[in-house]
Amino acid sequence: MYDEEVGEVIGSSNTEFIAESTLLHQSPPFGSFIKVKAREPIYGVVFNAYTHSLEPNRLAIAYHRSEQELRDEQPQIFELLKTKFEAVIIGYESNGSIRHYLPPQPPRLHSFVYVCHPMEVRRLTARFWFLRFLLSVEKAPRDELIAAAIRAAYAVRQGERSFLVQAGKALVKLIGDDYEMLASILHRIQES
Amino acid sequence: MLYKGRRRVGVVVNGSLIGGLEMKLDEWYSVEDVRAGKFVVIEGEKSRFFCMVTDVRLDTTNPQVLADPPGEEEELMRQVLHGTATYGTVCLRPLLMMDKDESSGEPHLVKTIPVHFSVVCEADEEDVNRIFGSEARHPRYFHIGRPLDMETPICIDLESFIERSNGIFGKTGTGKTFLTRLVLAGLIHKNRAVNLVFDMHSEYGWQATQESGPGQGGFVKGLKQLFGSKVAIFTLDPESARRRGVQSDFTVHIPYNQITVEDIAPLADELNLNPTAVESAYLIVNRYGRDWLSTLLRQEPKDLKDFAADIGAHPESIAALHRKLKRLEKFDFLREQVSEDAVYKIMECLDRGVHVVLEFGQQSSFLCYMLVANILTRRIHDLYVMKTEKYLASGRPQDKPKQLIITIEEAHKFLNPVAARQTIFGTIAREMRKYFVSLLIVDQRPSSIDDEIMSQIGTRITSLLNDEKDINAVLTGVSNASWLRSVLASLDSKQQALLMGHAVPMPVVIRTRDYDPAFYAALGYVEGKELARKAQANIADLFGEG
Repeated sequence: MYDEEVGEVIGSSNTEFIAESTLLHQSPPFGSFIKVKAREPIYGVVFNAYTHSLEPNRLAIAYHRSEQELRDEQPQIFELLKTKFEAVIIGYESNGSIRHYLPPQPPRLHSFVYVCHPMEVRRLTARFWFLRFLLSVEKAPRDELIAAAIRAAYAVRQGERSFLVQAGKALVKLIGDDYEMLASILHRIQES
Repeated sequence: MLYKGRRRVGVVVNGSLIGGLEMKLDEWYSVEDVRAGKFVVIEGEKSRFFCMVTDVRLDTTNPQVLADPPGEEEELMRQVLHGTATYGTVCLRPLLMMDKDESSGEPHLVKTIPVHFSVVCEADEEDVNRIFGSEARHPRYFHIGRPLDMETPICIDLESFIERSNGIFGKTGTGKTFLTRLVLAGLIHKNRAVNLVFDMHSEYGWQATQESGPGQGGFVKGLKQLFGSKVAIFTLDPESARRRGVQSDFTVHIPYNQITVEDIAPLADELNLNPTAVESAYLIVNRYGRDWLSTLLRQEPKDLKDFAADIGAHPESIAALHRKLKRLEKFDFLREQVSEDAVYKIMECLDRGVHVVLEFGQQSSFLCYMLVANILTRRIHDLYVMKTEKYLASGRPQDKPKQLIITIEEAHKFLNPVAARQTIFGTIAREMRKYFVSLLIVDQRPSSIDDEIMSQIGTRITSLLNDEKDINAVLTGVSNASWLRSVLASLDSKQQALLMGHAVPMPVVIRTRDYDPAFYAALGYVEGKELARKAQANIADLFGEG
């Protein structure tokens, strides 16, 4: 699954990019780590995904059928839908090492997007600099996003609980004055 | 976590030279492991600072955490907050510093403070040895205890200790007697001074019961048992000594003609004398000289009027004096005539370097204790003054008197502001080592001792004190001492003491050394099979292998 592309970049800036999902309804999970393949790969965290009609002026309408019935009766309507996802850039790789800062150039359009390999996730999250990028996101609830990213990083660590504690401590330094947000994030990660 | 081979405690974040330093405790170091009095080392940029923990505090970066503390089940939250939003702050008092580049240099007084974020570590054995010396390094050091959380011996410098008068203070039951016995054993073992101990409760010479510790209820050895012929036991009450199975070396009798008015004057409280009594007594002295007391006590009540008229005193006043001094007659040790002068006997022992313990047996009233201690000490002091003058005149080292340390208990009776001006002990405490006599004051009520005398005390060994007045008194004459207050008040009631003053380079809290067979052995005491083996070895040394 890590070798197959999950999307293609269709819009980018220095801080985030939008990609179209290869398969309908198959965007990478919210809060997961993805990368844009290039000479210097760029890493990001998915903070938003949505599916809509191809034509901007046409809204999808309700048919009151199950998905399977619809696929049997009117397969063309699925061809008119697209799934897109947005990611915040958290760093890039240069000369074999991970840089926890923004890449000099935004990701190129039409580059392919892949889900990060568990080893890459471990390398990316060995330090907690990525949390700072997640805090700057405004289009998604930040506590949800941070909690989801930490859960994703925890998932590749085989129940290494000290990781959660370390992540929590890094968060305290970042959002020390916002105790409620801290409590809400910790509440969301301790159940994982 | 280690830093240059030592266990890290935290980093310096704040502070001043006068107010002391503040350290943020490392998150892996439990706040409960930091006790007041703990000894730590700060690795500064150019110097190392030796500090004592004076206070421990819980701090937070965000007051909201305190308003809504995490619940018991929120384990992750607790772990996350620990060391970040909530952390321990430790107040440190820098006491000594040492330049890093001259590692062999002596520690000196603190003149500056370390830079921000200097690492604070636990002190190790080498630090303690460098500061407090070790018995292995020089015989002047005597191992008196250990730091609170280490096994390294802490030593006092006996050479400095004997130079001045010293005090052992503490509430009753905090181990003053044990501390005193320990110090006396050290002085005798290292042969640094001769001791004269006024042993009010007969606890030092022969065995005494142990009130706490592993051997509670058992007996511990007295100085005579440990040092044999180096210690002589004098007693005022041979009956009591015999009942306790103590072999005393000499029974002290004091003739009336050795009691002067100066000996009686400090007893005004105990004897309930009125202010004119001393003046009347002087009138008798004017006529009868040294026999004044026996002459007065010989008078029949009906003859007192004539007696008063004879010496020109007020009859009522003489009658009162007579009535009150009659109490002295019930003391067995006071005699008209004595065959051997106790003072010369004591001096003879002291001259030979034999330490004298004077037991009071049943005669342990304050009146008796003060009277005898005063009489003997005054005369011994006079003899020492003469010896010193002789030494100053001749300048010969063999004439130099042996440094004498006089141990007195319940010292506030002798050294309260009124008595200190009248008793010889006040004089000794003030004039210090000029005449080679100093005091070892053992007391539970230091606030009653005259301030002037407290300020002259060289080394203070203090067990737990609760009374604010007593704590203040013990800290008299110690500069910038307010931080020691919290340390003093937080001592355990057993086997812990704060050492400060002349004989230690910096104040330190110790667990006092156990007074047990290991200690006896360290003093060279042997018994049982080992004693027989030693005797055999001595015989072999003397006469050759048989």
